[in-house]
Amino acid sequence: MTTTTASPVKIELRDIVQRFDANLALDNTSLTINEGEFVSVVGPSGCGKSTLFNILSGILTPTEGHAFIDGQDITGQPGHVGYMLQKDLLLPWKSALENITLGKALHGRVSTQDRQDAADMARRYGLGDFLNHFPHAMSGGMRQRVALMRTLSFARDVMLLDEPFGALDSQTRLEMQEWLLQVWQETGSTILFVTHDVEEAIFLSDRVVVMSPRPGRIQEIINVDIERPRRIRDLTDPRFMAYKARALELIYGNAKAGA
Amino acid sequence: MPTNLSSRWWLDILIPIASIVGLLLVWWLVVVAFHIPSFVLPTPMATFQAIGSDWATIAQGILVTSQSFVLGFVIGSALGFLLAIVMSQSELLYRFLYPVLIITQAIPVVAIGAALVIWLGFGLAPKLFIVGLIVFFPVLVNVLDGLHSVDRDSINLARAMGASRWKIFTLVRLPATFTPLFSALKMSATFSVTGAVLAESTASTTGGLGVYLAIQQSRFNTAGVFAAIVVLASIGLITFLLITSWEIAATPWRRTSVVPRRRRFGKTLAAAASGTGEQASVEAVHSLSRP
Repeated sequence: MTTTTASPVKIELRDIVQRFDANLALDNTSLTINEGEFVSVVGPSGCGKSTLFNILSGILTPTEGHAFIDGQDITGQPGHVGYMLQKDLLLPWKSALENITLGKALHGRVSTQDRQDAADMARRYGLGDFLNHFPHAMSGGMRQRVALMRTLSFARDVMLLDEPFGALDSQTRLEMQEWLLQVWQETGSTILFVTHDVEEAIFLSDRVVVMSPRPGRIQEIINVDIERPRRIRDLTDPRFMAYKARALELIYGNAKAGA
Repeated sequence: MPTNLSSRWWLDILIPIASIVGLLLVWWLVVVAFHIPSFVLPTPMATFQAIGSDWATIAQGILVTSQSFVLGFVIGSALGFLLAIVMSQSELLYRFLYPVLIITQAIPVVAIGAALVIWLGFGLAPKLFIVGLIVFFPVLVNVLDGLHSVDRDSINLARAMGASRWKIFTLVRLPATFTPLFSALKMSATFSVTGAVLAESTASTTGGLGVYLAIQQSRFNTAGVFAAIVVLASIGLITFLLITSWEIAATPWRRTSVVPRRRRFGKTLAAAASGTGEQASVEAVHSLSRP
């Protein structure tokens, strides 16, 4: 469970249980993530990925258990982490820049400094010419970049990403994955990344948490021991193949047994 | 680009004018070609002459009718908007009020006209009530739709960012009502003119256009009737145009790619923004997607 890094614990989920009526969505789940770590959660639908996600973001209070960030109990408290979904959720009436600074706007006024910071970040991450565009004038990949910058601008410490690239075509997706790794390396954020794409999870992460459904629980955690920065060619590395085989076996082998 | 701007201008201004001129032309041709007598259908020319010759009375009528129309329209849409917001806050209230509101719409305006006169007298009040009632419902329904159309996940995202209910309302939910609100206003703009005329025929003693219309009708002055019709249609049309201009200013994201000048950041965008947004953005996408 422990990684080779000696960073302090950033996120801790302790004995989380989530029931929806009689339905057990998440069964006694604990997970610790260190500062600056990139951890992915994979698993078939119904394995509690999104439930886990909502609990960490504070919009869902679990039936049992607690969530901690920097050792502080944040169970059921929104506002401590940034999050992003497959849907970009950009407000159509706001420009890219105004969408990036949404977090500030929701907490009062957006200062000139906030706008400047957002613009600097947008330029650094390849959005310069789109600052003043409305979302409908941007491509899907661009919109997801704006959505991630909105998340970064709100809370770059801890970011939860729920299948952020799920709706993109495979080429754009790969571009976005490399871009995300660049952003992550520069910001030192702690990232929890939910996906059902095993390759994506392995390519991006330090650790891959494989979950199983009914009830949702952690089945195994795979340590991805491939050096960074990761490159496209790592996708065909024998170690990568071995991790992928293991993850697929856990997910699909299990599904077959259950059927 | 000047060429693009002028072609846009051409579409927005010249084509609609041409269509109105075309309508008048068809009107005139029908009268001439079928030898329609002027007491059945006067020519456009005769109608405009009737407007000119009776202008003093008609101008007074425009003032009187516009007063009840504009006031009723503003009050009705404001109340519809406010009630939509109140109803969106509570499921219980929504369920409770909805049937009542549908009943108010099911009652024919003509039928309550007489009752309104008994209750509210012959003054401005019954006219405001009728015009207001006509615009109230479409605004209410459309604004409610707009409020409900907001993605649940957008609201969750704002909540996860620790936003207050009020901030979520003003920044995430309220702007979503603009487009449906303007649809409702445009729809009812023309229809509430009818409402104003109808209200005047049952509840008016002062010389509005509805009264003028009734007098001309009783005299079998067809040109006078058509004069009133043309003036009333113009009021509807002008209101429609005013609302459309307001809509364009209030919802820029529906027509352009780049935010209005006062909301722009920095200078680098000036070049891209002054061109047609579409073109500029397409080029920018291409240049960015190939690193």
